[in-house]
Amino acid sequence: MDEFETALAASLPRLRRFAHGLARDPADADDLTQQTAERALKARDQWQPGTSLAAWTYRIMRNLWIDTGRSRQRRDAVLAPEEAGATIGAAGEAESRAELHFLMRAMDRLPDEQREAVALVMIEGLAYAEAAALLEVPIGTLTSRLVRGRQALAAMLGE
Amino acid sequence: MDETRIIAWIDGELSSEEAAEVEAAVAADPGLAALADRHRRIRARFAAAFTPLLDDPVPLPKRKPARIVSLAAVREERAQAAPKPAPRWRSWAWPGAVAASLLVGVLVEHHNGPAGVSDRVGALALSAPIAQSLDRQASGELGTVNVALSFKDQGGQFCRSFVAQTIGGVACKAAGGWQLRYAAPVDAQHGDYRMAGGDPASAKVVATMIAGDPLDAAGERKAIAAGWR
Repeated sequence: MDEFETALAASLPRLRRFAHGLARDPADADDLTQQTAERALKARDQWQPGTSLAAWTYRIMRNLWIDTGRSRQRRDAVLAPEEAGATIGAAGEAESRAELHFLMRAMDRLPDEQREAVALVMIEGLAYAEAAALLEVPIGTLTSRLVRGRQALAAMLGE
Repeated sequence: MDETRIIAWIDGELSSEEAAEVEAAVAADPGLAALADRHRRIRARFAAAFTPLLDDPVPLPKRKPARIVSLAAVREERAQAAPKPAPRWRSWAWPGAVAASLLVGVLVEHHNGPAGVSDRVGALALSAPIAQSLDRQASGELGTVNVALSFKDQGGQFCRSFVAQTIGGVACKAAGGWQLRYAAPVDAQHGDYRMAGGDPASAKVVATMIAGDPLDAAGERKAIAAGWR
């Protein structure tokens, strides 16, 4: 592996986590991760050394997700009670998987622009300024999407 | 004190003075404290569910079948790095250009690093086992090397497409032996090409090189007997 591939490989776990914040289920998230890695390898000449490879690959992933998601159907804004109770009674690893699934479904009910803001800031831990630059929106726009998304999640999760 | 500011505080976005302000306001107001707690719990809940994902190994994707390029086209591209108006395949599908240039598959296997192809005469000579199969084996006969078909190229040389254990491609008989004209790694998952008579990329290359029709069984026996001369 050359330097670029090594750096890309090192960024894949975080990319995959971001994918789980965007995609509707873990299988889609893994597909999105692989597609992003393929796209990054193909477009490697467009990456400028010295700039953040993470930001560049996040942007590729986000654009792929937007492109493939235009036809996505938005579902009800409220989780069904049986889904909300899906984690009850599970144990150990199965429980944490169920919790991940559950939170992904909650994220899936957010409008796209709120979901990407929440995924970048709350899941990936980007600073507001970084997330705003990546999404190419003013920081005020980013902040209001983030807050609306967090409020919706709080309502869905019964917090 | 609004919710936006409380969330920004939890996200660590405030300066220390601003943070102190929020902290004081939250301490003084149970409603604000409950709101702050709620957002802190959500953040912690997401962290607990999503952070373990970082421990899973994620492999780089396997590269798709090798691109077909000609060395001449690569040099030209490097020289003028300008996008070509015609689709890429036209540059190698043009028979004259192909006859004049040496076709190689760019071997790009991620985990092994790019394979080097030297420009020296004889550098593309094939190993003895493959050369022997090309010398003696009839097309369609199964072995460790599987020859798909035989033909004469536009320069009048005998050529054969083949699939071996790890590479497949097209070789032509020259004075020094069998010379590789095109090669690509064999994808183990597509081992059925060994049965089907060559992989699609090789078949495309053959289509650009061939003069007339492939040899039939009788023609092939004759060529084998005559040492492909």
